[in-house]
Amino acid sequence: MPTAKESTEPAIKTQIRQFIQENLAEVKGISSFRDDESLMENGVIDSLGIFRVVSFLEENFGVRVGDEEINPENLSSVDTIEKLVTAKLNK
Amino acid sequence: MDFSWSEEQAAFRKEVIRFAKQELQDDLERRDREEEFPREFWQKCAQFGIQGLVAPPEYGGGGADTLTTVCALEALGYGCKDNGFLFSLNAHMWTTEIPLLAFGTEEQKRKYLPKLINGEWIGLHCMTEPMSGSDAYSLRTRAERKGDRYVLNGTKTFITNTIHGDLFIVFANVDPAKGANGVTGFLVEKGTPGLVVGKKLHKMGLRTSPMSEVALVDCEVPAESILGKEGSGQAIFTHSMEWERTCILASHLGMQQRLIETCVKYARERQQFGAPIGKYSAIANKVADMEVRLETGRLLLYKAAWLKSQGRHALREASMAKLYVSETTVQTCLDAIQIHGGYGYMAEYEMERDLRDAISGKIYSGTSEIQKVIIAGFQGL
Repeated sequence: MPTAKESTEPAIKTQIRQFIQENLAEVKGISSFRDDESLMENGVIDSLGIFRVVSFLEENFGVRVGDEEINPENLSSVDTIEKLVTAKLNK
Repeated sequence: MDFSWSEEQAAFRKEVIRFAKQELQDDLERRDREEEFPREFWQKCAQFGIQGLVAPPEYGGGGADTLTTVCALEALGYGCKDNGFLFSLNAHMWTTEIPLLAFGTEEQKRKYLPKLINGEWIGLHCMTEPMSGSDAYSLRTRAERKGDRYVLNGTKTFITNTIHGDLFIVFANVDPAKGANGVTGFLVEKGTPGLVVGKKLHKMGLRTSPMSEVALVDCEVPAESILGKEGSGQAIFTHSMEWERTCILASHLGMQQRLIETCVKYARERQQFGAPIGKYSAIANKVADMEVRLETGRLLLYKAAWLKSQGRHALREASMAKLYVSETTVQTCLDAIQIHGGYGYMAEYEMERDLRDAISGKIYSGTSEIQKVIIAGFQGL
């Protein structure tokens, strides 16, 4: 049996990926990206995109992202964003 | 949903208005003409607690929430007519204190915040460059790591508070190949070799707020002068702008209130064609429009502040508030001048200065056009 954490992770990652794909990547003509790819370096997430992602995380997962947490380490890829959300949900 | 101020907030608002009317009045018409910054006002505001409004008590601040802060700033804008001075105060609070609070190390906070709060020091940030305004992250100032130091080189323009400034937050790119992700903030103290405050810039309005160019010529700072981390400049700047756009135009709401009261008084007293001009719908309708604009602006600005008081982000709401209040303040200034006719056009009546000051609100902290880009951007456009 998967643990509660294992069973929620794919859903979180899927939702994050879907939001970024539909709202940030497609409008810039970027059709695919890896989960570990830097979305800041490939141009998917710009300065406004960072805050759109943060708003999405706060509204969708009910978490609060502190100002000091808004940095490339936490928000650069689908993997790091998922890690941030999971850590907050497991607190 | 509660649209009223608490008893404490209402009392604080009254006290700020009393303070501003009593302590922040002087020969403004002359100072505006001569572009003179009122340093003594700065110290009075610090003693009253304005600069420390949002900072926690451990750094000497008052620990006010964002809504209470905009309540105080609106009251300042109502009681103090020196919009240039209020602009300098806001620049200091939102572009220096706030990023230090959010991104500074404990050591940096303890070193700088008490001085910034008690009025001893004035802060500012250096972002805009001759070739980068709205496209802020295309800045050309470079920061090169050399051992335990960074060397900054570049030119900044339209920088507020420079001439009296003590702490400069300079944005520079540590790795141009990374584009915006290389932008980084540095804390640079006045007197650092290579930090050069250039010629004073003369403005249409906000003339009591000093502005000039800043040059960085092989300006060396210790590695620990970095604010946040390498590449966190975008987050720092956006964070500052979210705060600034939420709060900086609160004083414009106060200015609108003051102008409405001035116009109502004039419309009741001024007689033309045998009746007070306020009895004519051409004048009364203008006053009604001014009232609607003020109340609508309050709703937008208070909501952005409320969100931030809840610990939530408000970039979109702050842009809406900034866009709307800046645009409507200009219109209200124009209406106030029109209601007063020839008198309104005279410097003595002070409304022409309010208009000149208000126009800048459509430009600083992101132009109205950029606010629309942000608002539409949240819709994926």
